[in-house]
Amino acid sequence: MRRDKNGFPHTLRLSGVLLVMGLCTEAGSLFWVHPIAFIVFFVVGGALLGAGVLLFLYPLVLLSSSPDSHDSEARETLRRPNSQA
Amino acid sequence: MPSPLTILYIFLGITIVLLVLILLRPSLTMSIGGRILALVAFVALPILCGVWGLSEHFERSKQTSFCLSCHIMEPYGRSLFVDDLTHIPAAHFQNHRIPADEACYTCHTDYAMYGAIGVKLHGLRHVYVQYLGTPMNPIHLYDPFNNRECLHCHAGARSFENEIHTPMMDQLKSNQLSCISSGCHDTVHNLDTLNKFKQWRPTE
Repeated sequence: MRRDKNGFPHTLRLSGVLLVMGLCTEAGSLFWVHPIAFIVFFVVGGALLGAGVLLFLYPLVLLSSSPDSHDSEARETLRRPNSQA
Repeated sequence: MPSPLTILYIFLGITIVLLVLILLRPSLTMSIGGRILALVAFVALPILCGVWGLSEHFERSKQTSFCLSCHIMEPYGRSLFVDDLTHIPAAHFQNHRIPADEACYTCHTDYAMYGAIGVKLHGLRHVYVQYLGTPMNPIHLYDPFNNRECLHCHAGARSFENEIHTPMMDQLKSNQLSCISSGCHDTVHNLDTLNKFKQWRPTE
């Protein structure tokens, strides 16, 4: 799994960015009482949040699957979350 | 006591702050406590905020102002203020026989099991037709108005169950006789004659 210079996995960073964007979208949509606000909330915000949560859970799914090179990598990622790649 | 919306904004703010904190300081996730915090910030709180926000949007979609926020609904909104109480929607709205801030939803929802979900799906169809299709001109209901929505409030009321309505109750309940299109209460959202009437202005 690729990591940044601080040893933080790229997928987790991307997950966090997607979640922040999704939450900001959802917060913004709540300021507007209009059908379009609901669509923005549901389609844009929901997609960003869903993608963010799934991307965060992805390494955990890898960890629980059968052992291969990817699993070892995922285990290593979760065992030492702040280590260098 | 803060409103549910305010509490939701607080939760959204806390979630964003936690996420930004973890993104800026990944070393927080080295301890077990930090990993639990990450799980809460990346999974639990976003799902909570998403579900809560969806519920909030569902609730506000019942508001009269929500329905009237589309230009095509503007004359229907004006018909609620007609200064002539033979108009059924105006009489109900102006006398608060229905909640004034949920006037459209109260009469146009579906008082059956899962009816509210069906109404929301109809609403999504409205949005699709409005922005990606061609709206009907003039607009009309997808299905004939069901007496069930009237009887939801009126059935059992002393003023309703009189010598006029009681003999035809079976026909009303089975929709063989329509409340609004059988000649009894047929002045509803009559847009053609809307300009002939004064508009009622509620006092502040």
